[in-house]
Amino acid sequence: MAVAKLSGKAVGQPIKRVDGIAKVTGRARYAGDFDVPGMLFGRCLRSPYPSARIVSIDVRKAKALPGVHAVLTGADVPDVRYGRMCKDIPTLAKDMVRFVGDKVAAVAADSVEIAETALELIEVEYEEQNAILSAEEAMRPTAARIHPEAVEVFPGAALGVHGELRMYPPIPNVISQLVAKHGDPAGAFAGAHKVFEHSFAVPSVHQGYIEPHTCLVSIGNDGLVDVWVANKGPHIARAHMAATIGVPENRIRLNPVTIGGDFGGKGSLMDTLLCYYLAAAARHPVKMVMTSFEELTAANPRHSASITLRTALDRDAKIAAIDARIIFNAGAYAGFVPVATLHGYSELAGSYRVPNLTVEVLRVYTNTVPCGHMRSPGSPQVAFAVESHIDMMARELGLDPVEMRRRNAIADGDPTPFGDHRPHLRCRETIDAGARAFGWDAPRVADIGRGISIYEHPPGTFGKSTVKLTAGADGRFTIQLGSPDTGTGFHTIATQLVAEHFGVPVAEVEVVQGDTLTSGFEAGASGMRLTTTIGQAIADVSDKMKQQLAALAAERLNCAPADVRLGEDGSFSASGTRIDLRSLMGWAAERGKAPLSCNGENKPGQPNNLASFAAHFAEVAVDRETGQVRVRRIVTAHDVGTIINPVTHQGQIEGGLIQAFGQAMSEQVVLKNGAAITAHLGDYKLPTIMDIPELETVLLPGGSGLGPFETTAIGEMSNVAVPAAIANAVFDAVGVRLVELPISAEKVLEGLSGKTGAT
Amino acid sequence: MIPFTYLEPSSVDETLAALVQHGVDAKLIAGGTGLVNLMKQRLVRPSFVIGLRALKPLAGIAENGGLRIGALTTLQSLATSAVVARAAPLLAEACGHVATVRVRSMATLGGAVAHADPHLDTPPTLIALDGRIVARSQRGQREIPADQFFTGFYETVLEPDELVTEILVPAQPAGTGTAFLKFLPATHDDYATVSVAARVTLGANGAIAGARVALGAAAMVPVRATAVESALQGATPDEKTFQAAAPLVAGAIDPIEDFRGSADYKRKMAAVFVRRALAQAAARAKRPG
Amino acid sequence: MRTVRLTVNGKPVAHEVADNRLLIEFLREDLKLTGTKESCGVGVCGACTVLLDGKPVSSCLALAVHADGGALTTIEGVAEGSRLHRLQEAFLAHGGLQCGICTPGQILAAKALLDTNPHPTKAEIQHWMMGNLCRCTGYYKIIESIAAAAGVE
Repeated sequence: MAVAKLSGKAVGQPIKRVDGIAKVTGRARYAGDFDVPGMLFGRCLRSPYPSARIVSIDVRKAKALPGVHAVLTGADVPDVRYGRMCKDIPTLAKDMVRFVGDKVAAVAADSVEIAETALELIEVEYEEQNAILSAEEAMRPTAARIHPEAVEVFPGAALGVHGELRMYPPIPNVISQLVAKHGDPAGAFAGAHKVFEHSFAVPSVHQGYIEPHTCLVSIGNDGLVDVWVANKGPHIARAHMAATIGVPENRIRLNPVTIGGDFGGKGSLMDTLLCYYLAAAARHPVKMVMTSFEELTAANPRHSASITLRTALDRDAKIAAIDARIIFNAGAYAGFVPVATLHGYSELAGSYRVPNLTVEVLRVYTNTVPCGHMRSPGSPQVAFAVESHIDMMARELGLDPVEMRRRNAIADGDPTPFGDHRPHLRCRETIDAGARAFGWDAPRVADIGRGISIYEHPPGTFGKSTVKLTAGADGRFTIQLGSPDTGTGFHTIATQLVAEHFGVPVAEVEVVQGDTLTSGFEAGASGMRLTTTIGQAIADVSDKMKQQLAALAAERLNCAPADVRLGEDGSFSASGTRIDLRSLMGWAAERGKAPLSCNGENKPGQPNNLASFAAHFAEVAVDRETGQVRVRRIVTAHDVGTIINPVTHQGQIEGGLIQAFGQAMSEQVVLKNGAAITAHLGDYKLPTIMDIPELETVLLPGGSGLGPFETTAIGEMSNVAVPAAIANAVFDAVGVRLVELPISAEKVLEGLSGKTGAT
Repeated sequence: MIPFTYLEPSSVDETLAALVQHGVDAKLIAGGTGLVNLMKQRLVRPSFVIGLRALKPLAGIAENGGLRIGALTTLQSLATSAVVARAAPLLAEACGHVATVRVRSMATLGGAVAHADPHLDTPPTLIALDGRIVARSQRGQREIPADQFFTGFYETVLEPDELVTEILVPAQPAGTGTAFLKFLPATHDDYATVSVAARVTLGANGAIAGARVALGAAAMVPVRATAVESALQGATPDEKTFQAAAPLVAGAIDPIEDFRGSADYKRKMAAVFVRRALAQAAARAKRPG
Repeated sequence: MRTVRLTVNGKPVAHEVADNRLLIEFLREDLKLTGTKESCGVGVCGACTVLLDGKPVSSCLALAVHADGGALTTIEGVAEGSRLHRLQEAFLAHGGLQCGICTPGQILAAKALLDTNPHPTKAEIQHWMMGNLCRCTGYYKIIESIAAAAGVE
């Protein structure tokens, strides 16, 4: 598609965030900042056991405490399960608790203090059961069923997946089994020059958003359910809420909020349903804020994974076939995930030419914290395995790791490992640009190592984005969006896109987020979709608006609409007469024809033939006496199309990269007897400003994008493969191979002592 | 937050009287970073919280040979004080490593020693400086050497009716160099996997005239590695000496496994960091000024 | 219960508080100053940072009664009317924020830094700001923003 010529004043400019002033002055309002008169505070009692039968619950003392307005248990809420794909989450546990932290009872009271005191007065009798703590254990034929009941699954689970998907197959505790095959892998393995097999383990990590899950539900006298909730897809949330509580969608209003970080973790209803039932029972609005302890132990973190990769190589160290077995530990409930299996499997070795492939992906129940989505779900786990595996093979063969990537990099004409075809692949170019900037061939220094990892990810085009564009009587545009800006900057780029389409100053385009009653459907941030889908919706609405404005201008200028031209300065002209937008709209307003509004939308689910590549290069210094790994610098190279806002774009690269850095170096949801014991930020270590490495970003412009401006996506490109680059660098430095994350000093020292993991 | 009655006495005598009146039902609060956390988690539930912020005379640093540090002096004041930097640089160095700038701005030296969290950086530092803690009660006043002050996990020799009023740091001997090393292999805002406060004093002949080595996060209490200190006595301050002496720390420590490392790893790291701290302290002792 | 008397963003405030009221509860719920955010609750993340007599403190670990007689600055008091502080301008210009939840704490901590040390080195910025966590930016643009506000490259 021909790239529209940019004005140089909107798209491509480092425009300040439209929500920036509100945020730097403390005026931006997050869900927890809203108050409603008569508001109560809700708190939950949670199971101390990973698996137990609830024998009895006595809430009498709690109910009697002054200041308590409602106490609910599983018996007090409808027996309807919620889930974004698999409906297995009860509002409150009934009969069985399935993980340490499972909600058993809830209290609404005048203050958090009273609510917490009331929780201490609730007496629960449990009968502990054997807990299943690992996926392997869960799949044994004799394993107890964590969900013996039939779980309702939304139709369309298999949409967009590669291969064959079976939901709830006859393997104990398996939620979904996906098997995909491309080519003739058996033949390729049989005739292989060399076959390598390696296994990897990636533990769970938390999204780490600084704002905890929060919701406030207020049920009006007229029955309208007003909700303020930290949820990134309010229209989808509303739909699920309506279906579960039995209130029509148009009697539920999710109000616009600012969200303090999402990273995939704020797509579910979390406590919203419970909050609703508390509000209904208490006959008062109820606010629920997850404590940090609850977030870190009982929210919906990233799935942990065990991955085994077997690869056949030919004599030139080229990949002949890959066989992958990926097991995701889903925890106690599947419902926090909006898809059947994590899409990360679909990027398996996506940067490489893989003529033959088999993959099996299992998502398995265990009696541990239920997992959800986190920035490129499944990908960091898979990428750690693939990029370590490729590196290990290269090392075994005495081949330079960059050369190994180059030799196997997917290029134009190659099918993807799953047999798709994509045009304009720039994998090799991205590797080369990064390697050059990094100085991959520079002389070596003892105990300082270098490592590479690469990654491929197409932009998301799924899900519906609708926008409403209004041209006001004063000639200024307002664009209404349907979901919050979770920090990605999509509200800002929306104004830049509108400004570019119409040749108006960006500062004069206003963006507003409607509530779910007033705004069009917006699926929200997910899978690197927004730049594309919002771009498409804005292109659509701009076309429609231009037609309407042309018709107005034609009336004003006394010509046919087809004769009207939109100039670069945003004015309309025909046969030598020119009128600017403000004058045109003023004229229209006098005649009752302003403001003018149009709706636009994307076309979801269009085949997406694009791929974006990232290549990361890490340099580490290893202290042999302590095992401590210091990441000195990272070079991250990205092939990109048109960048709408270079500051927000770079911000996504940097933020994503440090999230990956955290997963690599210090973060882990540590489970003990099924409980997540990294229960506060003193124990769950997020990277600080003193921990970050030197970072250089290399951008390769000119990549293929989507839409009239050929934009690409960036949100999930830098947070995926970095841990492998670091692990590969550690191996390069001191010969210790870590096949498990995080990379800790103790593990490296053990490797150096030859105890475990040393290669 | 648990319910409690807050008292804010306006003098030391009033404070001491309140301690006598309420006994174990009361907890003292200085900066509050320790106590408020414990109360929020419902790990301690005092009926009375006695605030010390009105006791202005208890904050301040005076030099008189050594240092007299008021118990309510904040760690940030100590970290940035030119007096401390000159008279007891080890203390300034250690305080600068504590937690975050917010904790340093609120937390006090008196509060830190009374809190006795075994991970803290200031207790081993005071031990290495031959510090003494001054405690007052209605029964009188006593000075407790830092290496005798800590008795257990969040436990000290303080009686329920005692208030820490001052911390005394004697003048450091001439020819002294010090080093504080805090091993943080994960992130910078963590508790130490192990911390070492080392002081090496060189005699006129260049040999080690004396040394102090104390460790934090290495046992239920901050410990003094007397076996290491003895081995250094009279020795040449070189790598060979430190290599030989450092492993002797093993007898002094009893590390607990936690997220920061297994007991075995911490044991190994204690020896490594004792050696490194001694080398650094000795190098500073050799450099004048 | 007792009455605390203090200034908040330059304005005198007198308010009754329970003895066990936390400073953050007092600010957000009693004074309706919701710019200060609560997150980790244990004083690690810095989202709750406010300045008490110019010093950065964790309002989630401070008792409201401890602010008595003090001068408190919250994010709402950093700008002068509609005139943004140079730190706020710098964060906006350099992309030092994304979701914004940590931003009030970052700006207050940075303000305390620049008020104490007007031209910090990069290392000094990192050391001072170490207690303010951010999950969105990766910190690079926070350092850039503070350095720019300090007029140091």
